[in-house]
Amino acid sequence: MLDILKTGIAATVTAAILAAPGLASSVPGAPMPEATEEFVEAGRDIYIQRCSFCHGLLGDGEGPAAKYLDPRPRDFTLGTFKFRTTESGELPTDSDLFRTVSRGLVGTAMQSFDSDLIKNGLTEEERWQVIAYIKTFAFEFEEPDLDPVANGKVLSVPANPAPYNEETIARGAKVFEKAKCWSCHGMTGRGDGNKEFREDDWGFQIRIRNVTHPWKIKAGSEVEDIYMRFTSGISGTPMPSFVKSLDEAERWDLANYIKSLQHDLTAHQALTAKLVDGELSEDPADAIWDQTQPMDVRLTGQVIGAPRWQNPSVEMVTVRAVFNDTDIAFKLTWDDPFEDIVHDEAQEFDPVELTQVGGFNSYVEAIGMITRDLETFRDSVALQFPVKPPSGTKKPHFFRGSSSDQVYLMVWKADKHAAGERATDEGNARGWRQAIKPQAEDAQQVTGKAVWDQGRWSVIMKRPLVTGDKSDVQFEPGIFIPMSLNAWDGSNGEHGLIMSLSTWYFVVLEAPTPKKVYVYTLLAFLIFGALGLWLARKALASRNEDEAGT
Amino acid sequence: MRRIGTFPIVVIVLVAIYAATKWGIPAFSREVTALPFPLPVPRTLMLFYMTLAVVAMFLMVTFSEEGMQDFLRPIKKLLRGGYGQIARALVLLAVPAIAAWQTYEMTVPRVEVPLSLRIQHPSSNFPVSSESLENPFNHPSDADIDAFIEQARANEIEFIAQVQGDIDLWADEWDPDHILEFFAAEPVKKFLAELEEDNVSHATAEAALMEKNLFEGRALYAMNCRACHGDSVAGDGPMADGFKLRPINFTDNGTIETIVEGYTFWRVTNGGPGLPTEATPWDSAMPEWKLSLTEEQRWKIILAEYNLAQKTPRIPEGHE
Repeated sequence: MLDILKTGIAATVTAAILAAPGLASSVPGAPMPEATEEFVEAGRDIYIQRCSFCHGLLGDGEGPAAKYLDPRPRDFTLGTFKFRTTESGELPTDSDLFRTVSRGLVGTAMQSFDSDLIKNGLTEEERWQVIAYIKTFAFEFEEPDLDPVANGKVLSVPANPAPYNEETIARGAKVFEKAKCWSCHGMTGRGDGNKEFREDDWGFQIRIRNVTHPWKIKAGSEVEDIYMRFTSGISGTPMPSFVKSLDEAERWDLANYIKSLQHDLTAHQALTAKLVDGELSEDPADAIWDQTQPMDVRLTGQVIGAPRWQNPSVEMVTVRAVFNDTDIAFKLTWDDPFEDIVHDEAQEFDPVELTQVGGFNSYVEAIGMITRDLETFRDSVALQFPVKPPSGTKKPHFFRGSSSDQVYLMVWKADKHAAGERATDEGNARGWRQAIKPQAEDAQQVTGKAVWDQGRWSVIMKRPLVTGDKSDVQFEPGIFIPMSLNAWDGSNGEHGLIMSLSTWYFVVLEAPTPKKVYVYTLLAFLIFGALGLWLARKALASRNEDEAGT
Repeated sequence: MRRIGTFPIVVIVLVAIYAATKWGIPAFSREVTALPFPLPVPRTLMLFYMTLAVVAMFLMVTFSEEGMQDFLRPIKKLLRGGYGQIARALVLLAVPAIAAWQTYEMTVPRVEVPLSLRIQHPSSNFPVSSESLENPFNHPSDADIDAFIEQARANEIEFIAQVQGDIDLWADEWDPDHILEFFAAEPVKKFLAELEEDNVSHATAEAALMEKNLFEGRALYAMNCRACHGDSVAGDGPMADGFKLRPINFTDNGTIETIVEGYTFWRVTNGGPGLPTEATPWDSAMPEWKLSLTEEQRWKIILAEYNLAQKTPRIPEGHE
């Protein structure tokens, strides 16, 4: 009886997992209908309207928007597909293609086309039509010998997967070690295992996945998805299939471990700077930072002014802050697989052509336009504040302010840090069309250290709370000060306006609770307490009267 | 059934009103607005509601002498120790404690992000002259249609440079009789058939020209706008998560459908910096597209945007 119950529960749980949102829509309700000429032609119409601008009229991944994208749109003519549930080197199943079209690939230009998720997406039939058309680009799909379903090359997730818990995660950590996942993905999973870029089968540089950022895990960040990635391998890339070297249980444990590495984003928009006693540390490793509340700031590509950039590397910076009665210090941490500490100004991009009205496009191409390699540009980060405290909700524009409303920036540069010079410069900007103007030498007051370790930068910027300088932001406890970030990853080709940036967040220096609050609280307690006692006495007295009266 | 005393009724009513304003309305607001966060009742408004409730209860209780006595009975009983010494001591401690807690809550400084309300379709600086602007590609002139027919007859259709390269590659591969054959859309097929028979109707040509302009508009959209507003114009592009003020979802009923085309054009042209203060221009990532795109490109994008969203713009007043 108990066994039947257990089986029942297991079946229900499995059904629940399969029916989870995001997964349900990616499973077709019925197999692909027969690809009649009419059916394929309907797919062609959809393809031209919805897909061709990236994937090209010939399906070669060379549409008008393709040059600006990294990862590049798939070239359908080769029959090589990354995200499959089939053995290494095999074609994908129809369901695999359906899943990708339905769910999209997270963090890329390939978005969900499921009309259940997106109002004007494609219905199940339309998705099948477009898939039928896409399959006409590669002759491999017509070869019966290559059909993965007919030839038994389809992989599946384990029938009785181990649960996601500390034990399986710990076992998975050992598999991570044994399978040498760290040799590419790094000991902490930040994609920093290699000392140089690797290439895919087409000779394009690839960026090894930082597995701790779930918003970049293209084919899904659930345990099942992760399991399937190293079971099937990712065709065309150095990511192999581990089917032969790891057994099913080991792969599932590993998937649990990878899942456990995923970062949970904080949700708050205001960073509380912590009040501390004594001197502020300039050391990123100081224990004080563990006692502060971190705030994750999301960044994205700078697409507001030419040259526009839609392949940003730094998409999250975690900020912490402490202050004492004279100074404030910020700690910025972000993941970056390479420590880029040189800067070659001669290789900086001249954006003149991109800034012309009606020019071909104002975005920087992913390949060829700028050097995206090691030893070229430096890593850098900047904290930005309004110079004047905001009146009401009014602020300068988050992208470097405007001519009438200037901003103040603290810009840290890795090349200066490596050279042992002062690494952070204070500067001002009035809009994005002019470069940040550094302040005079004698106005530079920011100190601090930085360290790059295992694919992560940690940078400290320390400054007096209040300066005599009218072009500086002044920090006062209890006030919400708008704060935003700019970041550059040198080996991603970023410099100048080719960067990532955030919109406005806030920092507030915690103010000690005013003494009057406690006085009011105490007074309220005493007044209500006295009132209660007085009423009690009165009630007792009146009872005596009542009794005397009867 | 035993009658409920006046005192419990007063307590129940006050607690119910407090709960409804504190938690009920915010929960309900999520249902109404479909926003991912609740809209709390401002503290001053809550104070107002509670004062009203207390006044109403006071009127009810003091309406008659019996009512007053009925209300006071359990209080007197408690204070006289009728419910036991422990209960009395607890209440005599709890009431001042709650008062102290509320006082503390009201006076202690809070770390709350300043609210920034914004108007989505500000009109304070929308130029009247833009109100009646019409998308030239929505109703091309007869001359434009005739020119298109001529180009098609000569098989020399001019496309914008951004799509020409891909079309050329397609033509090299397929060597078609007519360049427009890469379209699979019905209106173009019909146009090509009529062209073949040398019997082109104006309406067919106009529909085919629309397909061509939509194709170019979609390409320009994919190149310039897609990164933020998304493949399916749902405001969910790969860049969208980086912006606190999310890119507009054009498939939403409250967006491009409620405004005239001239307004859309004005917004695309001037972007965030062109917004008035009440629309918080400092939080908007919308570029000033006049710095990068020609008027023609902007109109083509708008044409494609409405088409992709399956929406029609509001018709300017006086034109209905």
